[in-house]
Amino acid sequence: MDCYTANWNPLGDSAFYRKYELYSMDWDLKEELRDCLVAAAPYGGPIALLRNPWRKEKPASARPVLEIYSASGVPLASLLWKSGPVVSLGWSAEEELLCVQEDGVVLVYGLHGDFRRHFSMGNEVLQNRVLDARIFHTEFGSGVAILTGAHRFTLSANVGDLKLRRMPEVPGLQSAPSCWTTVCQDRVAHILLAVGPDLYLPRPFCLVFPLALPQTPPGLAPGVSSFLQMAVSFTYRHLALFTDTGYIWMGTASLKEKLCEFNCNIRAPPKQMVWCSRPRSKERAVVVAWERRLMVVGDAPESIQFVLDEDSYLVPELDGVRVFSRSTHEFLHEVPVASEEIFKIASMAPGALLLEAQKEYEKESQKADEYLREIQELGQLPQAVQQCIEAAGHEHWPDMQKSLLRAASFGKCFLDRFPPDSFVRMCQDLRVLNAIRDYHIGIPLTYSQYPQVLVLRRLYPLAIQICEYLRLPEVQGVSRILAHWACYKVQQKDVSDEDVARAINQKLGDTPGVSYSDIAARAYGCGRTELAIKLLEYEPRSGEQVPLLLKMKRSKLALSKAIESGDTDLVFTVLLHLKNELNRGDFFMTLRNQPMALSLYRQFCKHQELETLKDLYNQDDNHQELGSFHIRASYAAEERIEGRVAALQTAADAFYKAKNEFAAKATEDQMRLLRLQRRLEDELGGQFLDLSLHDTVTTLILSGQNKRAEQLARDFRIPDKRLWWLKLTALADLEDWEELEKFSKSKKSPIGYLPFVEICMKQHNKYEAKKYASRVGPEQKVKALLLVGDVAQAADVAIEHRNEAEMSLVLSHCTGSTDGATADKIQRARAQAQKK
Amino acid sequence: MAAHLSYGRVNLNVLREAVRRELREFLDKCAGSKAIVWDEYLTGPFGLIAQYSLLKEHEVEKMFTLKGSRLPAADVKNIIFFVRPRLELMDIIAENVLSEDRRGPARDFHILFVPRRSLLCEQRLKDLGVLGSFIHREEYSLDLIPFDGDLLSMESEGAFKECYLESDQTSLYHAAKGLMTLQALYGTIPQIFGKGECARQVANMMIRMKREFTGSQNSIFPVFDNLLLLDRNVDLLSPLATQLTYEGLIDEIYGIQNSYVKLPPEKFAPKKQGDGGKDLPTEAKKLQLNSAEELYAEIRDKNFNAVGSVLSKKAKVISAAFEERHNAKTVGEIKQFVSQLPHMQAARGSLANHTSIAELIKDVTTSEDFFDKLTVEQEFMSGIDTDKVNSYIEDCIAQKHPLIKVLRLVCLQSVCNSGLKQKVLDYYKREILQTYGYEHILTLHNLEKAGLLKPQTGGRDNYPTIRKTLRLWMDDVNEQNPTDISYVYSGYAPLSVRLAQLLSRPGWRSIEEVLRILPGPHFEERQPLPTGLQKKRQPGENRVTLIFFLGGVTFAEIAALRFLSQLEDGGTEYVIATTKLINGASWLESLMEKPF
Repeated sequence: MDCYTANWNPLGDSAFYRKYELYSMDWDLKEELRDCLVAAAPYGGPIALLRNPWRKEKPASARPVLEIYSASGVPLASLLWKSGPVVSLGWSAEEELLCVQEDGVVLVYGLHGDFRRHFSMGNEVLQNRVLDARIFHTEFGSGVAILTGAHRFTLSANVGDLKLRRMPEVPGLQSAPSCWTTVCQDRVAHILLAVGPDLYLPRPFCLVFPLALPQTPPGLAPGVSSFLQMAVSFTYRHLALFTDTGYIWMGTASLKEKLCEFNCNIRAPPKQMVWCSRPRSKERAVVVAWERRLMVVGDAPESIQFVLDEDSYLVPELDGVRVFSRSTHEFLHEVPVASEEIFKIASMAPGALLLEAQKEYEKESQKADEYLREIQELGQLPQAVQQCIEAAGHEHWPDMQKSLLRAASFGKCFLDRFPPDSFVRMCQDLRVLNAIRDYHIGIPLTYSQYPQVLVLRRLYPLAIQICEYLRLPEVQGVSRILAHWACYKVQQKDVSDEDVARAINQKLGDTPGVSYSDIAARAYGCGRTELAIKLLEYEPRSGEQVPLLLKMKRSKLALSKAIESGDTDLVFTVLLHLKNELNRGDFFMTLRNQPMALSLYRQFCKHQELETLKDLYNQDDNHQELGSFHIRASYAAEERIEGRVAALQTAADAFYKAKNEFAAKATEDQMRLLRLQRRLEDELGGQFLDLSLHDTVTTLILSGQNKRAEQLARDFRIPDKRLWWLKLTALADLEDWEELEKFSKSKKSPIGYLPFVEICMKQHNKYEAKKYASRVGPEQKVKALLLVGDVAQAADVAIEHRNEAEMSLVLSHCTGSTDGATADKIQRARAQAQKK
Repeated sequence: MAAHLSYGRVNLNVLREAVRRELREFLDKCAGSKAIVWDEYLTGPFGLIAQYSLLKEHEVEKMFTLKGSRLPAADVKNIIFFVRPRLELMDIIAENVLSEDRRGPARDFHILFVPRRSLLCEQRLKDLGVLGSFIHREEYSLDLIPFDGDLLSMESEGAFKECYLESDQTSLYHAAKGLMTLQALYGTIPQIFGKGECARQVANMMIRMKREFTGSQNSIFPVFDNLLLLDRNVDLLSPLATQLTYEGLIDEIYGIQNSYVKLPPEKFAPKKQGDGGKDLPTEAKKLQLNSAEELYAEIRDKNFNAVGSVLSKKAKVISAAFEERHNAKTVGEIKQFVSQLPHMQAARGSLANHTSIAELIKDVTTSEDFFDKLTVEQEFMSGIDTDKVNSYIEDCIAQKHPLIKVLRLVCLQSVCNSGLKQKVLDYYKREILQTYGYEHILTLHNLEKAGLLKPQTGGRDNYPTIRKTLRLWMDDVNEQNPTDISYVYSGYAPLSVRLAQLLSRPGWRSIEEVLRILPGPHFEERQPLPTGLQKKRQPGENRVTLIFFLGGVTFAEIAALRFLSQLEDGGTEYVIATTKLINGASWLESLMEKPF
């Protein structure tokens, strides 16, 4: 334990760097790494190798092999490369392998060597060929940047949503830049390139300087004639430049500020240069690799140097650098603060003391108490525990993790109310991390990466256990893993449809968040339509079932599913689909068997295709609706009277067929009226068409055509009562009082005479009203007299009738002084009545 | 500002806030200045959710009404169409978009479908070649809109017609979706009761949708104990009768739209001396009516005959309060008086408004014709002379009273007689066609299809049985201090509400016979709750029932349900939901068809 810090190397005064072995690789590499295209995914991801046979010095003899290994060297896939020459390999953020071909076509493979898709980087790239390519990651996804033979750049910031951007030309760029990289500024990816002593950052959106202007990093040592290598940090914040004078400049990626510089006096161009820093640390360091030498340089006069025994390859990580070669896989990083505090020689940090105390306690030594007191006296026990927990997270070896956690647990015993969650959480995380760091899994994640990394590698059981262990909500964790498993399952072509469907349903059941339609879509994608249909049966959401069924041309099934859902929009969608797919007869037959769909389709036709609506009613022998249809048509479609009458005739015929005698007769009456109105217009002028029968008669009376009016009323058998009302109203409107009086005397009124009084009063003709008031029958006499304002006589009649209600009615009309006598009279009569 | 929504047993403000949040989220997706192009029908309901100020906060600078040809000029980055998913609207949008491209700076287009995104509409946009022009195409599931502390409505105008005339379940689907949203916010409703064909369908959809969401376990403690789904066609009678509560009468006479009413301005003229009578306001007076107004909350559900006394009592209280100022002697007393002034002035303003409204209504209710009509209605409902031609209806036709009034009465007679004798029916129909025009044959067909107007078949009149068993007619009504729901129609107890009342006590088993006579199945479903969420009722604690009227509900029925909620020993409180707030006139109008 004393030599625990033996592999710590100081850089400057404040930081230590350490390198430790993750795995000894036992991949059986036939080739030297230097002969291969190499790509390793970040976050402990897989490694892809493609022996490069297209190099000029080694003409292709056999087809190359693309191999994919886990970080521990366990082979995951191996396939013969049958496509064109590859310029560059890289992993996307989703751990898909992107292979950039010379012709600008990018082939995408899954982790297990399964071909996913391909896309092209455009015509310009195709014509000029790819000279160099990089795969890079930003917050928007993984991008591809390409340098073409014409020294132009094309890039796409997100391969998931391919949008190609051609970068503007750099003036005077005759040959390829000495080095270049992608940077990300203001959330946009750019290319930074070096030509001779100048740096260029072409900005396609900059209107003022569409062409890039050369830039020089601030504080650059003189004498530089070209840049040999450049590196941006993981977060795109920092930039390092390696010059032909063996000088390294480190600063911000915006080229506005210099952080530090270092002169390593090696003029040979390095093979790789990457940043090595940890989040939230102030230290900045760059790792530079040559054939046999590895150097860590930072803001310090000295550098840390390692000797490389074999060809090595650097993989930048969020918090360090992975270095792998034929035989080993190592991790190089800055020692985290918590570890440094605890393990630094002669450290008096609370964590260090706590660790010491715990060790003494195990030895059953009283020193344990001394150490503990020392911490407690300073009141630093909570920090001590926290430090141990944190440091445990950064340790790679389980033994060390354990002893730190034991120390934390020991310290916790002496604290009241120390919240346990950070300790529990760390134990859980470490168990997970240790499990996946295991050689067989080979994912050397440093800290809290998430289980979906495992899913992509088809390590389903482990992933599920982890989710359950970490108590991730089902929808986020287990469901996703199971769905993934099912999608993999449907691709197993040697298993029968029934078996696959059953196996999937057994395992998934009603697991929340699992989309059977996604799985079915995958099955359909593999050409297994029947399986897809079987799987869709398990899908509870019709909204998901229907589109896929339509895509698979199972429209009738889709229709019944849509109807089941009650979602009318879905039904409509299927219907319109069916309409185009089937011939008219079949389509109608299908509708006939689905009443709900039929009524919806009728609705659609009512607004969109009237003719079809008619055909539908015809098919169903729905004569009643056909009748209504033609009635509507008589108004909408026809202008000429003949046309309208013809349409009405069709309607009447339909009503007869529907055994709706009343409607048929009414429609015939309407035809008769229409013809008549037409004739009236011709003979009398004026507007008659589309007046109701009632209004036609009224209009005739108003224009003095009493005879015609009578005739019309007779023809259409208008009931007497209504005719009297009609005439009364019309004559009063005309204020033809003479005619009205004549009319009232023509025979005994079937509606009585009160309406006469009322209507005269409405026209404010009291004189005429009074004429009729006397003829009003006894029951309504009081009302009539009151209407004409003859309160006194009304009172007399009411008293005569001995009617209490009438008397109070009259009383309520007695206003002011004039009616005072009348009121008294009534009161007296009332009193008399009560006496009796 | 929407505090009245949270007064009730169920805090409906939660729903309002949820839909407001959804709206804000959508608006923020379209970064930059915006103009909204409105489907005009939506503006009313939206007003209950979000005022202009909310839209303004999210950079909405202009608002237009959706109409053909070009959009008006507006210097904004985003144009957002708020529309119902209707094909004819898609055509207009396409026209807008196509005429837009030719001029000015490019603008971003978006569509917000209310309440549901429609594949059919998107297909139409695609056919018209504009689908690609829209950056965001989303749905805004505004199904149930909170109107008051105990009232939700979908404000779906054609719901009744679609369901019962055209067998189009679209609005039922939306209703089911709305109920799912409610359950997501207020917990799973453990028991569902229903009566009617549509109720059955909605319940089926809900059960199905619940299955679709398996897994996202609802862990909210259920607020509602029961859901009662009622088809409007189980009770066709209640909306036909004239409502006699204060709110019901305002709706009958002036029509309440999205909780606003427009009134003739004369009665509301400012009573200032000097300019008296000179320039009367010509624009209609617009008032919002909801329980946020204390006085209105008190009188809205009373029988109109009981409103006058409340108003005069209130007037005395308020003038007494104002008189207090003479007693205020010390500075402290004056200060206290002044601090109450705003409240008192608001109360006085409210009182003045309602006194004016009451006067307006009184002019109508004291008219002879209103009295005659009411008499006929009440005769029908109590079963007098329902089987022959009624002379009042005849006179109405002869004098060409508004058709809607005539139809309402004829339908009422038909419903109260379980259909009319063929001869009587044909007579009415002939009179109507001759007087109002033959085109109304289509309307008559619609009414027949909906069962509002029908010939008596089998010669059996079931209405008396129903009336007696459910005690739909009460002779002794106390309008001032009601003891039974029949006060809302001064005698007739609304059938729908009676069904709800009997369900809560003693249960529907007691009226199986009648339930069988009424159309459609009756059913009960249970939605199992996880044990942790099962309620243990405290003694004396009331149940909460959500009652959903499929096809519309009237203010009188709502008043009756509120009356039941307030009964001390009622045991059940109601929250009311509906596809549309209706009255007899607006309801029948939705069924009318005018071919020209």
